[in-house]
Amino acid sequence: MRFLNIIKEKIFRSLPIIFLYFFSFYHFQLAEVGKINFFSFNFQMILIYFYILKFPEELGFGNIFLAGIINDTVLGTPLGSTSLSYLTLSFFTTYIRNVTLRPAMTAEWFTFIPALFFSNFVYLIIINNFSNVKFYYIELLQNTFFTFLFFPIFYYIFSQYQKLIFKD
Amino acid sequence: MADYRDDFIIAIRYALLKKGAKQKFSLFFLILLSLSIITLDKFSFPFMNGVRGVLNDFVYRVSVVSSQPEVFRKFIFKKTSQHYNVTKENKFLKKEIEYLKKQKFNNTFLLSENQILKKTLDLSEVNNFEQNFSIFAKVMLDQRSPFLKSILINKGTRDKVEKGMTVFNKEYLLGSVIETNYLSSRVLLLTDLNSKIPVIIEKTNVHAILEGTGNKKKLYLNYLPENYEMKSDQIIFTSGKDGFLKAGIPVAKTYLNKKNKILVKLLGDPGQALIVNVTNGQIK
Repeated sequence: MRFLNIIKEKIFRSLPIIFLYFFSFYHFQLAEVGKINFFSFNFQMILIYFYILKFPEELGFGNIFLAGIINDTVLGTPLGSTSLSYLTLSFFTTYIRNVTLRPAMTAEWFTFIPALFFSNFVYLIIINNFSNVKFYYIELLQNTFFTFLFFPIFYYIFSQYQKLIFKD
Repeated sequence: MADYRDDFIIAIRYALLKKGAKQKFSLFFLILLSLSIITLDKFSFPFMNGVRGVLNDFVYRVSVVSSQPEVFRKFIFKKTSQHYNVTKENKFLKKEIEYLKKQKFNNTFLLSENQILKKTLDLSEVNNFEQNFSIFAKVMLDQRSPFLKSILINKGTRDKVEKGMTVFNKEYLLGSVIETNYLSSRVLLLTDLNSKIPVIIEKTNVHAILEGTGNKKKLYLNYLPENYEMKSDQIIFTSGKDGFLKAGIPVAKTYLNKKNKILVKLLGDPGQALIVNVTNGQIK
């Protein structure tokens, strides 16, 4: 029984990493469900920002790096560009965590704006300089906007999940 | 002021170099690693192509497995809607068969007339279209990337698929191969921003460049003559001016949208493509 509990805890603990890899391998978009090509958002960025900010021990930088490499392979973008973008987000998030004295959801939500800006900026620079791929700027802007907008929802879900799993 | 600057530098250094209990690598090391990979990938060192090929084949296979729940959902949704549409389609098809029967007789007459006229004009039917390679491939993945509108097919260099080969779906041009691995290839769709093909508009002598915009119902015709006004329901064919694609492949169609604006839509539907035909449709 104890062994089963340990396995269960390991799985629940690894769920953020599993989700990070899953969404890197497969790009599910909310848009595909409703036929509205509008509400797409970057789940990985929300996940990375939340877990690096709140539970850094649950999500390693190595996993973030690897998820970025997989994402690049799947999407056909220059290898390492998404990794660098995610690592920039992680760096910015770690900095925010270090300088924050009293954490509050609203403050963390708004600091997500510069974090998203810097990571997307790095991504844009790499795509523009290291590949011949043209950009769908509007789609990226919409994607970033909805990533920012949906953050509180996922903040609540992730917080509740963490409370539920690690209540004892 | 100096204290504030010191605090800032300390916080930055701490964020970059700190390794926690679960963090095996520092951010600084991983950022450097990412930059090295980007540089190696950019300059395409020989060993990097091999690494990328192996990585692509592995990741694509896993990606196919992880997309199965979504494939199943789409399958169920498609089958359900097909069931409801079948009666409606049946009625429509019956009417169309009647119409086509009439057209068939008309076409036979036109064909014979055309041959007679060609003989008169001394235009022999030279087929300059060389297609000594043709292979069917299955669409493994249809990733909706915000940067590349592309699909992955399950044939690669092992099956002699090469970069630049043209891909068809149900006789309609779908795109061209832009990346080949040993077991898989990536096809850039006509809807992609980077896709540009020379075309000619039906019943006119108007040439243009068909460009993708990311939307299959909103392609863009560039370099049209000045003051040229498009009409709806005109088929757009490849002109063959690029010296690569065969002339006369139907690609797109003009149509009138709800706002009475004439737009260009793709004839084939990349989203519905399951089996595609990869060819080396080049001019001799």
